[in-house]
Amino acid sequence: MMSPAALIRRAAPVLACLGLLAVWQVASLVLKNDSFPTAIDAIRAIPDILGDKESLINILASLRRMAIGFGVAVLVSIPLGLLMGRSRGVAAFFNPLLMVIYPVPKAALMPIIMLWLGVGDVTKTLVIFLGVSLPVIYHSFEGAKAVEEKMLWSGAAMGLSPAQRLVRIVLPAALPEILTGCRTGLVLALITMITSEMIARQSGAGNILFNALDMGQYDTVFAMIIIVGAMGICLDAIFERVRARLVRWSEPQFDMPLSFS
Amino acid sequence: MTVVPARSSEWVRPVTSREPASAIIEIDRVSQVFQTSARKDHVALSDISLTIEEGAFVSILGPSGCGKSTLLYIVGGFVSPTSGTAKIKGHAITGPGPDRGPVFQEFALFPWKTVLGNVVYGPRQQGVRAAEAEAQSRTLIEMVGLKGFENFYPKELSGGMKQRVALARTLAYHPEVLLMDEPFGALDAHTRTRLQNDLLNIWERDRKTVLFVTHSVDEAVFLSDKVVMMSKSPGRIRQVIDIDLPRPRRRNELLLDSRYQKYVVDIERMFDDGDEGGPAS
Repeated sequence: MMSPAALIRRAAPVLACLGLLAVWQVASLVLKNDSFPTAIDAIRAIPDILGDKESLINILASLRRMAIGFGVAVLVSIPLGLLMGRSRGVAAFFNPLLMVIYPVPKAALMPIIMLWLGVGDVTKTLVIFLGVSLPVIYHSFEGAKAVEEKMLWSGAAMGLSPAQRLVRIVLPAALPEILTGCRTGLVLALITMITSEMIARQSGAGNILFNALDMGQYDTVFAMIIIVGAMGICLDAIFERVRARLVRWSEPQFDMPLSFS
Repeated sequence: MTVVPARSSEWVRPVTSREPASAIIEIDRVSQVFQTSARKDHVALSDISLTIEEGAFVSILGPSGCGKSTLLYIVGGFVSPTSGTAKIKGHAITGPGPDRGPVFQEFALFPWKTVLGNVVYGPRQQGVRAAEAEAQSRTLIEMVGLKGFENFYPKELSGGMKQRVALARTLAYHPEVLLMDEPFGALDAHTRTRLQNDLLNIWERDRKTVLFVTHSVDEAVFLSDKVVMMSKSPGRIRQVIDIDLPRPRRRNELLLDSRYQKYVVDIERMFDDGDEGGPAS
């Protein structure tokens, strides 16, 4: 039997979602706007989308691009960020480059990338890669920079080479910070995934959404928004589980079960 | 009694003509200058020469900012001196190595490893087989009084317990010299006393060479065979004092011993006579 406090904590996210849907339902009934279907209509449209083979192929194609973009970004960004954090020279070289790229909306680069690489998977995956890379690099950099010097000295005294220290001390010590970056990166991957499909329509979840919008199928539009939102929540929840397991040893901190980044 | 009040103008150079066979660490005219800003250099250490004999417990005592930790880092190979040389067993120190095991005030444990994981790390790195390393580590953990905490993470331990783990972790790879950098400085008075007692008990078993940095006169006299008094700006050796007290030392006996009391009072007076602030007692 759960304590009342635990019960409330468990029920709170569900209640928040139900509350949001209720407000939506009422607002839509009051406003009576064609382009604003009720929550119930939108939810009713979900099975149609998920039952349709074509739509499923589109959504899976989106997820595949997102997984590849995210995975490659993480594999490249973590080593780069760690090197920047431990070497002033590397940081001095890459910092200005990243500062230039950081504020640029990655979607704004899409027309140029499309020009070079076409409207296919490579372009969209590249945009996702760019979106994910920066927060992961930044957090890896900060995490590596904050690693206690004395911890590295202790490792050096045990006979660890500089490369071993980077992999076996800096990486685990910075892991909580790195994973914070990855979590932000995951949400950005979802956002850039949809944006890229908005600009280069061809396939994907974003393609279904914007095609429905063009055709005035507003319940489908809102159903897709719910689906994308649910995908984000699920991915984040899975990631959070993995993260919590990996950094169990680090300080416990207050955390919401869902991220709102 | 070897305590001789030094005149402030006359820096007593430690004797370097000891038996070379027994010297394990030789520090020869080491200076360390840090560039704090474009205009100003900070001389942390000035012309330090010191010989440490094998098996000796030597404390480096001085006010904060006298460069005593820097001297320890130079012996550890973590910092290269601006000039002069430091040698271990006749070989110039060029970097850190498992023959010199540091224990830091900040503990510097690996927080992602359990107590056992931390202690076993050094021997595993040195190529000791897993089962053997683990057995040795468990013995060490018991020796520092942490039996039952093998699977705890550092964040679950108190400061005193963390420092016990750090000591066990360093002892685990059998360094010839222990380099202790104000190891009990971050602990409360009670914990500090207990760790001092336990450190002495552990040390008296195998009498490793210990270089122990502290700003506490009591601590230095209680633990050491020899106290190196330093003064600051620039960091110099002011006097080297042999502590001629019997071992094994027991705290409750020693505190009543007039010889112990005289060492403490004399050393404190010498710091007071200097123009710079003395260390805390």
